[in-house]
Amino acid sequence: MNPLVLVCFCVISYAVAAVLSFAGRHHEQASLRLAGVISAFGGLFGIIAGVSTVVMGTHGHSIAHLGQFFSMDMLSALMVVVISVVTMAASVYSINYLEEYFGKGGWKVNILFNIFAAAMTALVVSANVMIFIVFMEIISVASWLIVISDGSAQSKKAGFQYFIIDHIASVLILCAFLIVVSNADSYQFSVIMANPVTGATASIVFLFALAGFGIKAAGIGLHGWLPKAYPIAPSYCSTLISCVMVKIGIYGILKFAILFLGATQLWWGFVVLVFGALSSVLGVMYALAEHDIKRLLAYHTIENIGIILIGVGVSMIGIASHQPLLALLGLLGGLYHLLNHAVFKGLLCLGSGSIVFRMHSKEMDDMGGLAKTMPKTAIAFLIGTLAICALPPLNGFVSEWFIYQSLFSMGKTGTVANLIFGPFGMVMLAFTGALACMCFVKVYGICFTGAPKTQQAANTREVGPAMVTATTALAILCIVLGVCSPWIAPYFSAIAASVLQLAPVTVAHGLSVYPAVADQAILSTPVIMIALALLTLVPTALLYLFRQRRLERRHQGDPWACGYQYEQRMTVSAASITRPMRQMFGFIYNNRPSQSLTERFILPVFYKGTDTAVLSGSKVCLFCIFSVLFVLLFIPFISGVSC
Amino acid sequence: MSPLEMPTASWIVLAVVQALLMLFLAPLATGFSRVIRAKMHSRQGPGVLQDYRDIAKLLRRQSVAPANAGMIFWMTPWVLVVTMLLIGMALPTVTQVSPFPISGDLITDIYLLAIFRFFFALAGIDSNSMFAGIGSSRELTLGILVEPILILAIVVVALVVGTTDLGYISHALANNSWHRPLTIILAGIVCAFALFIEMGKLPFDSAEAEQELQEGPVTEYSGSALAMVKLGLGLKQLVVVQLFLAIFIPWGKASSLTAGALISATIILLVKLFIVFLIAGLIENSMARVRFTKIHRTIFPAFLVAVLALIFLILGW
Repeated sequence: MNPLVLVCFCVISYAVAAVLSFAGRHHEQASLRLAGVISAFGGLFGIIAGVSTVVMGTHGHSIAHLGQFFSMDMLSALMVVVISVVTMAASVYSINYLEEYFGKGGWKVNILFNIFAAAMTALVVSANVMIFIVFMEIISVASWLIVISDGSAQSKKAGFQYFIIDHIASVLILCAFLIVVSNADSYQFSVIMANPVTGATASIVFLFALAGFGIKAAGIGLHGWLPKAYPIAPSYCSTLISCVMVKIGIYGILKFAILFLGATQLWWGFVVLVFGALSSVLGVMYALAEHDIKRLLAYHTIENIGIILIGVGVSMIGIASHQPLLALLGLLGGLYHLLNHAVFKGLLCLGSGSIVFRMHSKEMDDMGGLAKTMPKTAIAFLIGTLAICALPPLNGFVSEWFIYQSLFSMGKTGTVANLIFGPFGMVMLAFTGALACMCFVKVYGICFTGAPKTQQAANTREVGPAMVTATTALAILCIVLGVCSPWIAPYFSAIAASVLQLAPVTVAHGLSVYPAVADQAILSTPVIMIALALLTLVPTALLYLFRQRRLERRHQGDPWACGYQYEQRMTVSAASITRPMRQMFGFIYNNRPSQSLTERFILPVFYKGTDTAVLSGSKVCLFCIFSVLFVLLFIPFISGVSC
Repeated sequence: MSPLEMPTASWIVLAVVQALLMLFLAPLATGFSRVIRAKMHSRQGPGVLQDYRDIAKLLRRQSVAPANAGMIFWMTPWVLVVTMLLIGMALPTVTQVSPFPISGDLITDIYLLAIFRFFFALAGIDSNSMFAGIGSSRELTLGILVEPILILAIVVVALVVGTTDLGYISHALANNSWHRPLTIILAGIVCAFALFIEMGKLPFDSAEAEQELQEGPVTEYSGSALAMVKLGLGLKQLVVVQLFLAIFIPWGKASSLTAGALISATIILLVKLFIVFLIAGLIENSMARVRFTKIHRTIFPAFLVAVLALIFLILGW
């Protein structure tokens, strides 16, 4: 069966869910729950479509067609899977989550959610520039409306800023498309791929695309919108923004740099690599300083986008220097991390949504002790934190390990540039990993462990079954994608090979994976998992041998306070944990690129002060929508080609 | 180099025995450090076996935790011991190649050390004690400062050999690959520095500063849980030292799995460990603690030396 038919079912399900939300707006309790179930099925269709394409996938750029406008290759199949997994989890989650929005416009939010998911799914299977841009614009508008859906002045301001920055990105992307379209004299991606732009023009296209999609992907310096827009949107929608929508940016960069332009210039790869490395380190640095759990997670998206871009950069360097193995390994790691990030970040976003759902506060210092009141959410969240910190044997580790190995392979090639940038990337990744470790000890430690810091936190209780199901399912997926890596990695090798038009390399053997060269390194997550489990017998045996008349462990009294009366406020806070870091690296916190780029130069063009922004925001947004549509209509005339 | 594969049964047995022996020797190593400290303080001090007596006694005692401590607090002693045992299994201590290469990849090892740090710090926050909390924060900060240096130093050596497998690096350096001596020596110095910090000793022992912060995240542990944490911390010292020995002082190890070769390699290993712990003890006790907020100024130059090692690698020295 044509997988695109399944994708159609998927999109139709989202549409039905949207219509249902509207039709049943006077009976929200029933209609929104049913809509949640329907869009979850939509996600399931998407997963089946994507996975079946990847599993049975043949070699070649386009595996399936639907008319002239839609086609599916291995890369878009992966993207469909990523979008569908997160959408499915978020839809299930919404069944309980939307209770809070009954009578407060929950149906509107749900319509936007479904339009948003449908547009993203359609975008990644589009085979035509016009279709791509139309869906990109629908995504922009839908996500903007989601951000401003609560109607507060704060959300309007954040939404306005998001909208402006996002459309600057759209204009840059349009410019890039304009050049490739006029060069190939066609809107079909297949024709554009067959007629790549060459020479200096190619570099211009690359820079336009990197800047445009870099904004959409929230790379560092271009990320200003994300930490503002993400925390305000309802949790299950913002999950889509920070886990999936930013991946559209990565998809765009891949599409342009590798598929349209063939990554011919060596320096492009280095630019992407350095951009990725800086994004990852600075993203997590800024995350460290946050005490609002949602903003903190938004910054972690920037970090992980950076890690993915490091893999993509290595791949581009591999292509440009004609080293297929390097190209494959880098892309394998990047794409694997793309899926993994969606899963563990989806888990953390939904998990933090559950906390906020009960706490009605995003301030981490209000929380504490939630592991006792919300045990299921806590366990799932803990698995998510372990995965995002790339601790073995979970999924985040496997993909980062591949990226490490690709950087190492790059260093091994021996040219001076590779010898500098390979270890540079590895050091940046290690630095990022250690910082992420601190950041998530802080998040889990402050929110879930210890004593409740407020009455609110003490009164929380476990969230509803649908929300628990969604987070638990994603937690299980984190474990599966990590522990089963020997069976999953070969598919990513096949996807990377199909994107690069190369023969896939063997990266797995029995229970282990290796970076194509079998004497360079070996990793076997299932064996590590088993070994860790079996080694717990050692401490157990030790405790058993010395048991004698030992009493059961117990909990009693306050922690020791040097003989003084213990008080709860003596304990560490979100700020005090990271204080040494913020002192040592003060120079980074005092010079933030996002402020310099967007807040200093771009936004002042549109408003001065805060109030006028809210007033004029909607008009400017409308203006932007019209101008983009106008440009869109004009493209055929300017470039002189028929659609 | 032959492809890396799953180890056979006899190698796995060796790996497990080796890890258990390291666990058994961990209190000896920490006890030895105490003896050196007492000698340098010109006092009598406890015997070298004192830590065995401490741990045996603590293991029989009940654990008591603060009222609000949770699951993480109880999990952590297990996690500490288990992760270090897994690294211990992989170290090429007496054999030329790693007996358990599955966990013998350098990147895997660095992230297994990160699991240790993650749970150790989290347990400190979970115990709800302010001293433990500050200790956790310091432990994590040290990790952030040390990890990039450690990885750069090790990667430089790994690039000389062309693999990230600990066993193969050790084997290559023991047998032939000293064609870039300056690079390797410089990387070795930086690596020793970074791993010395990982051992948690003065002047960088700020996470477990006994005097001012009551042993950091360990503060609230008691009874059998404390015994396990102590074992885990001692084991980490041994593991970290042997990680260094495996890469930079790889000579004198068994090339085949015969009893004679293994025994002589074990004796050589014990001598090496004695010397390293002696040196570490001397350094530890002749230094004043670095003030924590200034610690990055001491560590940053080490990073520059690691960069220098990379430059030497590029120059081919």
